[in-house]
Amino acid sequence: MRWLDVEFPHDAPISLVSFSLGDSTTASVRGTSLALDLHTSLTLRNASGKSIRGLTLSVEAQDLTPSGRASVTVPSLNAAPGEIFPVRVDLELLRPFNTPRNGGALVQVTLDGVLFDDLSFYGPDKLHSRRSLTVYELEARRDRQYFQRLIAQGNTAKLREEMNFGLPEFQSPQLGLELLHDPRSTTGSERPVSVAIVSFPDAPVQMVNGAATIYKNEVRTPHVDLRNRSAKTVQNIEMGWILHDQGGSDFMAGLLPAHIQIRPVQQARVQENGVLRFSHASGSPILVDGVTAFVSNVEFEDGNWWIPSRNDISNSTLDASLKRTLITSPEQQRLAEIYRRRGLTALTTELKKFGK
Amino acid sequence: MNSRKSGGHPRVEALALFARGDLAWFERRPIMYHVRYCAECEHEVEQFRASLEELRRGASAGLPPALEPAGDWSRIEREMTGNINVGVAASRCIEKVGSRRLRGWRGPAVIAGLAIVFVAGWFLNMPHSDTARILSALHSAWGGIQPRNGTVVQATSKGVAVRAQGAMLTLLHPGATDVTVSVNGAGSVGARYVDDETGQVTIASVYGQ
Repeated sequence: MRWLDVEFPHDAPISLVSFSLGDSTTASVRGTSLALDLHTSLTLRNASGKSIRGLTLSVEAQDLTPSGRASVTVPSLNAAPGEIFPVRVDLELLRPFNTPRNGGALVQVTLDGVLFDDLSFYGPDKLHSRRSLTVYELEARRDRQYFQRLIAQGNTAKLREEMNFGLPEFQSPQLGLELLHDPRSTTGSERPVSVAIVSFPDAPVQMVNGAATIYKNEVRTPHVDLRNRSAKTVQNIEMGWILHDQGGSDFMAGLLPAHIQIRPVQQARVQENGVLRFSHASGSPILVDGVTAFVSNVEFEDGNWWIPSRNDISNSTLDASLKRTLITSPEQQRLAEIYRRRGLTALTTELKKFGK
Repeated sequence: MNSRKSGGHPRVEALALFARGDLAWFERRPIMYHVRYCAECEHEVEQFRASLEELRRGASAGLPPALEPAGDWSRIEREMTGNINVGVAASRCIEKVGSRRLRGWRGPAVIAGLAIVFVAGWFLNMPHSDTARILSALHSAWGGIQPRNGTVVQATSKGVAVRAQGAMLTLLHPGATDVTVSVNGAGSVGARYVDDETGQVTIASVYGQ
């Protein structure tokens, strides 16, 4: 029985140099299941003529196909043509012994998409990685420019604050969540609530109103009405959702994309079917009291994008910890790690590596 | 299993008994509450139930002689029905013997006492699954609750996981200290962290359909 296969298309802009299963890779019996604990490091080469800014690998287990799948995304890459770079995949697969096998490897890793420095994209995009990789790259450019400006101005105090030094209270709270498509129906104790709205002044799409149903630690079928304030047709939109619990705490729940066409000055409704069930990292339920939504990013029909500026977020009505959560892009997280471990000189050197 | 002991989860033996419905009601309640909100334990319970179902299927298809008694559910049912009938007959005998003294308030008191003994005996001895089936059937008659039956994506302390068709795939973030969990799209949950070895920011996501 093969545990892992890695396969890329022949015309893919990346090629597999090698992959190795780490020493900690094990298979054991857990209850009535086989537990496969797999730790692998893939060594990939940029086989294209352009710099790679990000990629998404699709991870599929035959026991879960077609219902479930997974992916590993590495944004904020800066891999020049011919350059070799590593990507780690750590996973655990639990499969009951009575599950029939279909042949082939238990886990298969393939390519879902690659984003280049000119924002062009390669890949089947089954997991919508083009959208997410593009937003990550736009945020990365925004944040690199901001940090370069702070360094150029010699504003180290602000830089330290942005890198989260001495501000442990801004650590965003961890939450666990499940997304259910076929939940238990309830017997009348659901509570309808209005969705509170956070507006960014420069956003091309404005929220008009919204509603959801709350049941204990579940938010059911949230929806919002949107108006396109720009002169361009909107093609895709991503909404951010914030959760308020009965103890008065706020949590950034996540981003939900919607493929929706809204012509200039027109209005449309975005609805999420399914149920979001929330819990603390400890497993105890978060009793939901209310939800807030905001427009996180917009893709226009002409291929242009809008993301909130750092000023948009800083000047919003969100509380400080939520602003911090929202403003911390993957690139900021990576740069902060460089700054913490290797200092200002290393950060400056890293920022200079990027042409844009 | 070590993490189960240290992480505030019920012991695996208790989960096995819970899955079979063999726990007393006062032991069952806290575990039922825990399992409702702990995906890991819920998965464990589902696995035990799947095995039980497998065993039952095996029983109906013909078991090895050593396992035959466990699979003969109808014989056990007949024995239990017989025991209940004996109990009812005995109570009637007692009623006849003391018929004069049981008039007035004593009659209802004895009936109430027997009812308490019966209810206590039921909950202490009858498998919870049988009780649940009966209650579920009664509940369905008044409008019902649908069982949960779908793909579940979730964030746990060690990663993000997708559970479907009895299997579970978890993308781990070993050694990561600052992990940000969020819903990344319809039916998708992601965990973002900086990989300790490569220094790359990595986003592990799972998707349910």
